[in-house]
This record gives sequence, C-alpha cells and structure tokens, in this order.
Amino acid sequence: MTTPLLTRLHGIRHTDGWIFGTMLLSACLSLAASFVLSIDALRLAADPGTSLSCNINDVISCGTVATSWQAQLFGFPNAFLGLVAEPVVITIAVASLGGVRFPRWFMLAAQVVYALGLVFAYWLFSQSMFVIGALCPWCLLVTVSTTLVFATLTHVNIRDGNLFLPPRAQAAAKRFIDADLDLIAVTIWILVLILAIVLKYGPALLA
Amino acid sequence: MSTQARIRSRELRDARAAAERRRRKRNRAIAAGGAVVIACLLIAIVVGLVNAAGSGDSPTAAAPQGKAVAPAIATPGGALAVGDAAAPVKLEVYLDYMCPFCGRFEQANSGELDRMVAEGTVRLELYPLSFLDRMSDGSQYSTRTANAVATVADRAPGKLLALNTALFARQPAEGTKGLSDGEIADLARGAGVPEDVVDAFDDRIFQPWVTKSTAAVFETGIEGTPTVKINGTVFTGDLYTAGPLTSAVAAAEDAR
Repeated sequence: MTTPLLTRLHGIRHTDGWIFGTMLLSACLSLAASFVLSIDALRLAADPGTSLSCNINDVISCGTVATSWQAQLFGFPNAFLGLVAEPVVITIAVASLGGVRFPRWFMLAAQVVYALGLVFAYWLFSQSMFVIGALCPWCLLVTVSTTLVFATLTHVNIRDGNLFLPPRAQAAAKRFIDADLDLIAVTIWILVLILAIVLKYGPALLA
Repeated sequence: MSTQARIRSRELRDARAAAERRRRKRNRAIAAGGAVVIACLLIAIVVGLVNAAGSGDSPTAAAPQGKAVAPAIATPGGALAVGDAAAPVKLEVYLDYMCPFCGRFEQANSGELDRMVAEGTVRLELYPLSFLDRMSDGSQYSTRTANAVATVADRAPGKLLALNTALFARQPAEGTKGLSDGEIADLARGAGVPEDVVDAFDDRIFQPWVTKSTAAVFETGIEGTPTVKINGTVFTGDLYTAGPLTSAVAAAEDAR
C-alpha cells in the first residue's frame, strides 16, 4: 500500500539532505535571478537610451519594472542585495549538508535576517503587481525561491529548536512540522502566488 | 507502588494517549482540508490558464479578414502622414499607445513636433502599432486606440495630433485593460474630433489596416517602440528630453 511509501517520504522530508538540498537549490535559483537582474541594471545604467523601449520580442513587459523607483529602493539596484545575501545561504546549506552544526544564535540570526529579506521580496512583488503593473519573470523567480529558502530555514530551525521559543510554542511548532502541515501551508502559498500571476498576467503570458 | 498510584499512572497514560489520538485526528483533518484547498487552487490555475489562452487567441481570430482599407492620409508603408509633403525633413515615429516609453517620448517632444509640423519643417509620419495588445489584459487596447487614431486620420486629419497627445496624456499602465471605448471616444471629443467621426470608432474600420501595417513595419526590421527615423535614418540620441531631437531635425534640415 501507499502508507509505507508515505512514511518513507515523510522521513526523507525531515532529513538534513532534503531540507538543506532544497535550500541550496532555491538559493542558487535566487542567486542566478539576482545576477541576471544586476547585469540588466548595470546595462541600463550604462546605456539608458536603448533599454527604454518596448521591444517586440519581449513577451512580458517593456522594462518598466527595472526603471521604476522601487527597483532601487536603497539607491542601488535591489538585485545587489540578492548577490550579497544568497551566497551566505548557499554557504550555510553546503556546510550543513557536509555535517556542520551552526550555533543556535547563528541560525536564529539567519532566520531573522532572512525574514527581513522575505518581507522585502513580497513588498517588491506587490509593487510590481499592483503599482507598476508590469511583470518581471526574474523578479518572480526571486519571490518564489526566497519563499522556499525561508520555509526550509524555518523548518530546520524548528526541528532543531534554534529559535529560542518558549517550550509550549516550541512543542506546538514541532508538532506542526511533524504533521507536515508546513509543507501543506507552503504548497498552498506558492499555488496562491501562481494563481494571482495567472489571473493578472495570463493573457499577456499566453497571447 | 500502591494500587492507587498504579491506577493514577495508568489513567495519566490513557489520557495522554487519548490526547495524542485526538491530535492525530485533528492533524489528519487539517491535512485533508489542506489537500482540498490545494486541489481547488490547482483547478483554478488550470481554468485561469485555459481562459487566458482563449482570450489571447480569440481577438486575433475575430479580427476581420480580407481587404484592409487604408486611411486617406496613409503611406504605403503603413504610416499616417501629417504636415507639408514638401517639408525638408521626414520624421517617422513608430509607437504603440500602450508603450510607456512612447508616452515619455511624446511628453518630452510633442510641443516641438507640433511646432515643426506647423512651420512646415517636418513631415511627420506616425506608425500606430498594435503589438502591445498582449499587455492590455485581453482588451486589445493598442488595436482599439490605433483604429481610433486611423479613423481620425481618415476623416478629421486636422485633429490627429491632438488625439495623439490626448491618448498619451491618459496612458494606462502596462497589464491593465486601459481606457474603455467610451473613454477613448470622450478623449477624442475633448480633442475636437467631430461626433460622426467619433461614432465611427466602434465600426473598427481600420483595424485590419492596423494589423497589416504592424506586420509590415516589423518586416522592415523595426525592433521596438518608440523608434524615430529622421529622413530614413534611425535617431539614436536621447528621446526622452526635449531638445536633442529638435537639434537633430535642424541638422538634417541644414544638410539639405
């Protein structure tokens, strides 16, 4: 029957290999997207004239996302933040895959900083979706992969009790994870993102 | 251990086991609920994709086939020409009313363009394209506006530049449905287009011409909008501040 299989999958999902593997993959995707966006930003800065146009072959948008003020909130292209932060995540993931155990305070700090990154990613997502009104595929990839990294980081920190939660909260969070409810929550979350994109940009993507 | 203590510890164990069973049951119920939500979301995504694909295809399929009637002042290349035919400088502007950068070009240069056309320095050839239809959430904003502009070019050519300016002044954001047909009609009335001409927008008379000339323009190697040509040569200077284009036109005029 399927029950042994499910039990095995459940077991695999809570192993270091799975958690940090997922984290590594997501962080690499995020880094790649940040890299592309950074190069675009530099090109745009070097040669503003040519990029400020609607290319017939660009299926998605006219580059308005890259030229909006939101794209340089701190005075430099946002993607630079990804270039700085994602290698750290990759390092953590690779070291953990190799058996390194980081101190609790270290993992808590990583969780807090990454939570800020997540908030920033979703602020950008909402801006491009509701204010700028243009779609940027690489930015979407950043949104999705940031979500996945955050989810895996939270998963491992709850599993290992790194968050300095009160015992009751820690026990409840642990039960939540053990019941795989976090997996369901993240899946729903990602699907809601996809649905929002399809509803808003479906015609542009498929026309 | 006394009997009493044994009973108590057993009761405690039973209570714990019961609590654990309840928790399991509750978690299973939540998981089942989650699975239902996931299934619903997947269905919604598929339905959304199918709808989007449908709405993306149908306008093209619904576009009237057959002979494309060209506006009276249209050039064979698919432009709407205004100004003195003998003007020393021919300025070609490729645009799409959905294109945000065309809006910025218009904002920066429309005053100068109007002046140079009025002075007889420039013969302006506008190419209203429709390739950004995909950016208007299925409403074909580019085609609708280009048709309106072509209709005005055909029947009230004196109001063409005024409507052009008015459309860019109220330009919608990418990815939105844009102005409704009624709003485009109001803009045209505001720009001084006669009522009978405005009424003809709904007939979509020049829609086939717009489709055809958009295709023809891209055949010539135009890669995006806005593209501006001065006497046939692509202008590579700054399109988004007033001045550089005017200087280039003056230089082209002197060169003749």
